Amino acid sequence: MNQTVTMANTQTSATPLSAKHLVMAHGSHTVIPQLDVALPAGQVTAIVGPNGCGKSTLLNGLARIHKPRQGTIVLNGADIHKQPAREVARKLALLPQDNSAPEGLTVTDLIRFGRHPHQSWLSQWSDEDQHAVESALRAADVGDLADRPLDTLSGGQRQRAWVAMSIAQETPLLLLDEPTSALDLGHQIEVFELIRALAHQGKTIAMVVHDLASACRYADHIVAMLGGEIISEGPPSDVITTNLIEQLYGVTCDLMQDPTSGSPMLFNIRRARC
Amino acid sequence: MNAPIHTPRETPPTSQVPDPQRLTRGYWYWRAKRQRWSLLIEKRALVVNTVLLMVLVLCSLASLAFGTLSIPMPDVLLTLQGEGTSMHTFVIEELRWPRLLAGGLAGAAFALAGCLMQTLARNRLATPGIIGIDNAATAFAVASVVGTGISLAPPAMALTGAAVATALAFGLAGATGTRGYRFIIAGLAIGAISGALTQVMLSSVALDDANAAYPWTVGSLNARAPNSVHALTIGLAVSYVLSLFLNRALATLQLPEAVTTSLGTHPGRVRLMGLILSVLLTGLAVSVAGPVGLIALLAPELARTVSRPGSIPLTASFLAGAILMVVSDLAGRLVLAPLEIPVGIVTALAGSPYLLWILLRKSPDINR
Repeated sequence: MNQTVTMANTQTSATPLSAKHLVMAHGSHTVIPQLDVALPAGQVTAIVGPNGCGKSTLLNGLARIHKPRQGTIVLNGADIHKQPAREVARKLALLPQDNSAPEGLTVTDLIRFGRHPHQSWLSQWSDEDQHAVESALRAADVGDLADRPLDTLSGGQRQRAWVAMSIAQETPLLLLDEPTSALDLGHQIEVFELIRALAHQGKTIAMVVHDLASACRYADHIVAMLGGEIISEGPPSDVITTNLIEQLYGVTCDLMQDPTSGSPMLFNIRRARC
Repeated sequence: MNAPIHTPRETPPTSQVPDPQRLTRGYWYWRAKRQRWSLLIEKRALVVNTVLLMVLVLCSLASLAFGTLSIPMPDVLLTLQGEGTSMHTFVIEELRWPRLLAGGLAGAAFALAGCLMQTLARNRLATPGIIGIDNAATAFAVASVVGTGISLAPPAMALTGAAVATALAFGLAGATGTRGYRFIIAGLAIGAISGALTQVMLSSVALDDANAAYPWTVGSLNARAPNSVHALTIGLAVSYVLSLFLNRALATLQLPEAVTTSLGTHPGRVRLMGLILSVLLTGLAVSVAGPVGLIALLAPELARTVSRPGSIPLTASFLAGAILMVVSDLAGRLVLAPLEIPVGIVTALAGSPYLLWILLRKSPDINR
């Protein structure tokens, strides 16, 4: 049975991460005036919406990168800002858009950083670390690139290396900010399939995605944002309507069901006449 | 109903995971059988630091041997064992050893401060010399030397100056903090103002006082303030140990800010601690050697080029700074002997072309 919609609207303990009465601002500019959201456990949530609608701000708020002006982020039942940073880092990983790295850093070096919250001065390289890095290399399919410096890789390879770092962090929650931007079609599919595989293993994933078609195809739950507010959320087939698309992007289009996956497909997209 | 969920791909990944030993290639590691204790030691760092230490020892011996009175190396070694002639003992133990110690410690402190500040600002140009911390520390120290009615000892004054300059640069940088160019530009201005203030103080006092303060303005090991070497020794030892504890967190600062936070490090706290350490080190080093700020730029750069990418070469910078200072002081004493070129001038002459090369060769941003 699918309880996505009801789960999102109640604050049950099954929700590993949620925001209550969240207000986010950059300086004096309020980006998110008031928002409640809960990530359904074990599912892939896609946050969609036009540029500047507060998608990334919401993701950064959920990942405690920026402190909310008001409201709380609840991680496993407790305020995320009242939990020790290391503990949070073992439960939640964020992959931001900016992925610059020191010159000459190799793929393995980068993935090793993912183990940082699990290590300390007395435990610098445990069996768990070794296994986590090995399986991250395997999962992201970057084993062949292990010794290559990041700056010698293609955009797609580099992105997979960063995803591998997040996997090595071994957190039940994974937040990704536009994980496939700047990737070609083949690499996009590769990263999305990897995300699905991770959800299949039980991870709860939230990602900001620009491409609505990919969001429909690879997410279980869609959160549509406009002007810092959630205007619709639920399974793709319920949420994605021609009406919503016109509201979000100012375009009209026709919808049909993807014959293979059953997810909504957009076609005949054109600018809406006002 | 929900859209059908896609099954993960069935085909096994194409690439093979390298043999597990490869993950720790370049490291020695040790794991305790029962406990979770484990150690990971970078071979390259060990080799680099050992070589630098040997170079430092050789340079130190040279510094003890050469000068107006050249002492043959066997006699230097004998004297160090307490079996030298009274003349040699006097020259080495009273004149050269204290100077060597002061130079080495000050160089190490400058370099460590530079390495810390470059890392926390994520910019190669962000060293205490360029941020104007040296100049401000000097201005405050000179104020106490020329007797403007302030009775604090020079080391305390230099520390105060360093702290004031950093706080100002930090305040002027606004929300961006130590990241970005605002911090560097604010620091440049503070450095220029401090330099001018020093000149004003020197030109407004009697000639004798101005002469007494001259070594402060160029950077020299001739005008060590009393007790300043003791203060530096203690401060350097404490800061070095603390910075080693900070090393793991500092390494994550090289990644984007959001990733640093995501990995469980408080970037703000780590930056603040690093900044305090580098201010302390710079203030104490200035009170011994004056503004020899280029060491803070050259030594970490040298250390980075020989260290593993992505590591923070704290120890290598420390040793390289000591070497550069000892060598510069030796060169300053020998080149125009019996005239002596202050060490600050030697490093400026030798270091400026290097600074230019860095600026022209690559972006000052540590991440390319």
